[in-house]
Amino acid sequence: MSAPSDLAVASHPPSGAAAAAASSSSGLTFKLHPLVIVNVSDHHTRVKAQAACSGDGTSAAPGQPPRVFGCVIGVQRGRTVEIFNSFELVLDPVSGTLDRAFLEKKQELYKKVFPDFYVLGWYSTGSDVQDADMQIHKALMDVNESPVYLLLNPAINLSQKDLPVTIHESELHVIDGSPQLIFVRANYTIETVEAERISVDHVAHLKPSDGGSAATQLAAHLTGIHSAIKMLNSRVRVIHQYLVSMQKGDMPLDNSLLRQVSSLVRRLPAMESEKFQDDFLMEYNDTLLMTYLAMFTNCSSTMNELVEKFNTTYERSTARRGGRGAFM
Amino acid sequence: MEATSSASMARQTWELENSIQATSSDPDALDAIYRYDEATQTRAQQEKPWVNDPHHFRRAKISALALLKMVVHARAGGTIEVMGLMQGKCEGDAIIVMDAFALPVEGTETRVNAQADAYEYMVEYSTINKQAGRLENVVGWYHSHPGYGCWLSGIDVSTQMLNQQFTEPFLAVVIDPTRTVSAGKVEIGAFRTYPKDYKPPDDPVSEYQTIPLNKIEDFGVHCKQYYALDITYFKSSLDSHLLDLLWNKYWVNTLSSSPLLGNRDYVAGQIFDLADKLEQAEGQLAHSRFGMLMPSQRKKEPEESPLAKVTRDSSKITAEQVHGLMSQVIKDILFNSVHPSSKASTSATDSSGPVPMIES
Repeated sequence: MSAPSDLAVASHPPSGAAAAAASSSSGLTFKLHPLVIVNVSDHHTRVKAQAACSGDGTSAAPGQPPRVFGCVIGVQRGRTVEIFNSFELVLDPVSGTLDRAFLEKKQELYKKVFPDFYVLGWYSTGSDVQDADMQIHKALMDVNESPVYLLLNPAINLSQKDLPVTIHESELHVIDGSPQLIFVRANYTIETVEAERISVDHVAHLKPSDGGSAATQLAAHLTGIHSAIKMLNSRVRVIHQYLVSMQKGDMPLDNSLLRQVSSLVRRLPAMESEKFQDDFLMEYNDTLLMTYLAMFTNCSSTMNELVEKFNTTYERSTARRGGRGAFM
Repeated sequence: MEATSSASMARQTWELENSIQATSSDPDALDAIYRYDEATQTRAQQEKPWVNDPHHFRRAKISALALLKMVVHARAGGTIEVMGLMQGKCEGDAIIVMDAFALPVEGTETRVNAQADAYEYMVEYSTINKQAGRLENVVGWYHSHPGYGCWLSGIDVSTQMLNQQFTEPFLAVVIDPTRTVSAGKVEIGAFRTYPKDYKPPDDPVSEYQTIPLNKIEDFGVHCKQYYALDITYFKSSLDSHLLDLLWNKYWVNTLSSSPLLGNRDYVAGQIFDLADKLEQAEGQLAHSRFGMLMPSQRKKEPEESPLAKVTRDSSKITAEQVHGLMSQVIKDILFNSVHPSSKASTSATDSSGPVPMIES
């Protein structure tokens, strides 16, 4: 469902330096895995902690955490670029150039473990794109002809709603008569595998690791779904408000947006074929059957315990009298 | 928005009920753990408090990044066991894992010599990392047991004992990516072995977990030779902030995940295994019935009968299935019952029928 997020992006026009104002027109779709974000954040925290601990003045301005640099790797299939992982890079602080040998070594090591991943670009931290970044970007171009630049803003701003991660590509634009490479922003979506989602969820909400009782597990599961549905609800409300204000005339009519909304609405109901209903009910019945069998097992186990207890008590009393055998 | 305040209140009540330690909101205190202090570490190495006390390390603290990397790597391996190393430091009675990296070997049960191949990789990786600012040392290893639970097998125990002799401090972590996805929570265990002839005091058997029949012997023989550590997780202030914001983007994935579909093979395997265990339990019960004629001696500890264990397993599987079904039903109601046609309305009443209650 990309329409709601598109709307959200449209309503916040991209700001920033002139170097990153335009939006990308390359038509590539970017998918980012949460692991990369946590990686970059960890790198930044580490370097910041070490710098604070060593205490001596670094090249960065005092009070400003030093910038970190690294490489992002992943897969590019056709028009989709999927960024899976990342690793750190060493930058020569004086000349600002990459340490080539280091990059190659690291690439080799990562190739052994993840043979499918290629170097897709690089990342850095900071609040905005800087001019010096273009040099590094160009240097990486001989590894990948059109690298991406991922920028993470490490300033914790509690009021912001969006991830402070931006992806930039480089495009050749003619400015003042001479062709120049400038950074343009690209949109991205967060893509995740099920296991990644569960562990991110786990760490984000610090669930009890042993799972607790069945009731806690059920509560946790339903809470997750509940929050997701609440999100969906709030997004739908935003669209609804927008439409109402458009109807009243407060907002200018935007036909393309209206078309998107109408196509979205027309997608519901999501599935309505006979076959789907059959399969769905079959799956439902399978689960009910499992529940039934589990209940049976439960009952037979309880019965067994009852019989054993009965046997024990009955056995003890009859053994003295030498009477009949135990209940069989 | 009142929605968010009620959510935060609900979260606080839940946290209180589950006695989760409130992490300090001071970002510097949170991030202090990331500082690597060379002096303290060398001092700890010289003192070696773990030599005298086999039970010295009791807790394992794993960073968010390490957990994520390990789970993703384990899952990427599919049904093949994978392994890797963890870097970190030790602090008092806790081993702190800051980062993890994968090794290019498959941790199959027979290849004990995989460690020899991996040493070269490990040395190269560590030296390179030191350049990039990752100063910690290797402090443990992890591997995956896809589908059969978090415990140490015979070979794992011998590997870990070797490690604990020569490269202390060392921690062994096991992850089960299949069960993680199926149960919706991370299946992970951290272990340390006892030295060879040490007789552990009778500590209570750790939380019961289902082990498939073909592995249960391996588990039983060695389960007394190691102990589990408590695992807690930590994350930096920036991590927390980012993770909160991340939720804004991937709530879609939460809704769209279908655990029922993704785990069909695993569940089928579990049910087969359950059937075998049931047959075994049946056999055992028939024997014990005759034993009832003699006055039964009081057992030292009320151990669960095999049938009770089987019941527990079946309840666990069923609970997971019901969770998955609930997600499906909710999604169906949300997205399918909007059309005002009579066909859809009857299906809506069908699918919103009584959901069975499970109690374990």
